Amino acid sequence: MGSTCQLWAFGFCHLLFMNTSDSEEDSYNERSALVQSESPTIPSYNQDHDMSLPQETDTKRRRPVSSGLSEPGPVEREQASTPDGEEEELTLKYGAKHVIMLFIPVTLCMVVVVATIKSVSFYTEKSSQRLIYTPFEEDPNSVGQRLLYSLLNTIVMISVIVVMTIILVVLYKYRCYKFIHGWLILSSLMLLFWFSFMYLGEVFKTYNVAMDYPTLVMIIWNFGVVGMICIHWKGPLRLQQAYLIVISALMALIFIKYLPEWSAWVILGAISIYDLIAVLSPKGPLRMLVETAQERNEPIFPALIYSSAMVWMVGMADSSNTDSADDRRRNEGGARAQEGVESEDDAAQGGRRRYSTEEDLEEDRGVKLGLGDFIFYSVLVGKAAATGGDWNTTLACFVAILIGLCLTLLLLAIFKKALPALPISITFGLVFYFSTDNLVRPFMDSLAAHQYYI
Amino acid sequence: MPNEEKLSLCRRYYLGGFAFLPFLWLVNVLWFFKEAFLKPAYTEQPQIKSYVKKSALGLILWVAVLTTWITIFQHFRARWGEVGDYLSFTIPLGTA
Repeated sequence: MGSTCQLWAFGFCHLLFMNTSDSEEDSYNERSALVQSESPTIPSYNQDHDMSLPQETDTKRRRPVSSGLSEPGPVEREQASTPDGEEEELTLKYGAKHVIMLFIPVTLCMVVVVATIKSVSFYTEKSSQRLIYTPFEEDPNSVGQRLLYSLLNTIVMISVIVVMTIILVVLYKYRCYKFIHGWLILSSLMLLFWFSFMYLGEVFKTYNVAMDYPTLVMIIWNFGVVGMICIHWKGPLRLQQAYLIVISALMALIFIKYLPEWSAWVILGAISIYDLIAVLSPKGPLRMLVETAQERNEPIFPALIYSSAMVWMVGMADSSNTDSADDRRRNEGGARAQEGVESEDDAAQGGRRRYSTEEDLEEDRGVKLGLGDFIFYSVLVGKAAATGGDWNTTLACFVAILIGLCLTLLLLAIFKKALPALPISITFGLVFYFSTDNLVRPFMDSLAAHQYYI
Repeated sequence: MPNEEKLSLCRRYYLGGFAFLPFLWLVNVLWFFKEAFLKPAYTEQPQIKSYVKKSALGLILWVAVLTTWITIFQHFRARWGEVGDYLSFTIPLGTA
């Protein structure tokens, strides 16, 4: 399992909040995600709030970042151009739509993970194999030693991640795009073929189904190749979204299986903190990445980002305007399992070149969330399902994560800059998990035992 | 997406499906069905139509082949003895 490390190379979770507006024509709703294969196939979501401001006032059709609430920022910018009430209403409507657009994939991923955990025992069996990133084996007998070892494991894991992120930033700074792209393709190959092969094998064993090699080879081959095509090249948007969800679920399952018990919880906490630091502090690697990309007016390196809508760029006169055209808010933590290009942005770029002169074309850009976020949310809920007592705990964690996601989107709308998507959700999730497991569950159990219904 | 690009994409998906990828043909059919049959005519449409039809044909063929093979395998696996085991990826436990 050493190669899973590769998948951590590219920073953390992104949450991109895209500017939205209705697409004028049906064809723009076609929702085909176009990913161009030439390198640098880097998505262009580097629109910073500041850079987009000058154009904001120019293009009257541009809606501000949608969020669930009215923020002073975009509203006052838009006052010159559009009536307030209508603006806020649209903002509200788009904000809610975006939140839903993210809820569904996150929920699906978690459902897949929980369903697998509950049915296929393979992922909850402890194996003697461990990831090399968690070298210290937890001894279930001694609490103190267990705690110490889980802390040490966390330190090892986090340092690996930090090193990987820094390598990534360095590679990006020195324009080694081919290397990054190749690395991503390798990781996605492994995920799509090897992990899904393992997964299928375990599912068949669990359901006691006979499966022959020829059929299996056909299934895995088709699944893998179409997945590579959809993610790294062009494919229907829905299919690409489905593949990203499946990949995140597979990755989360691997983590759930191979991370030792206590280490997993400490790692979750530590990663959220790292996410926070890396994205928000001035010297954070992810922030530097973002800023470098902005300086170069380039899309960020190819990473796995889940995007929920097709982007047809609103007309831009020329490519130098590309930055300002959309105020995309980038909520960047980093992308963990990274493969492939963010199709949305490539489509965006392609779209820009094509519809260069029509300014009244509007697009529905939807929202983006990094796959690392999906993975860690699912790891949290999956572990709650695996080790928590009953469904109460699992549901509580699920709700906590969704609440956290809501709040993060809200903050994103308020601050309009790259924000980490992990900390709030994971904090809520951890709090809910431990409190439900230790407080609510005994309470419910004794209520049930005494047949006292509240 | 401009029409030439749609055509080119459809064609590539069709050609790609020959590499033992009926799933690709399925995606092709589902994705371009609306384009080929439900949209008002445009220049590239007849070609897209033909590709979609050919992909559908190939898909049906593959489905038939796979269904036949799977039925045969599931039915006769136990009877084949060693060959059956050799071909099997997972062997169900507790049944004949």
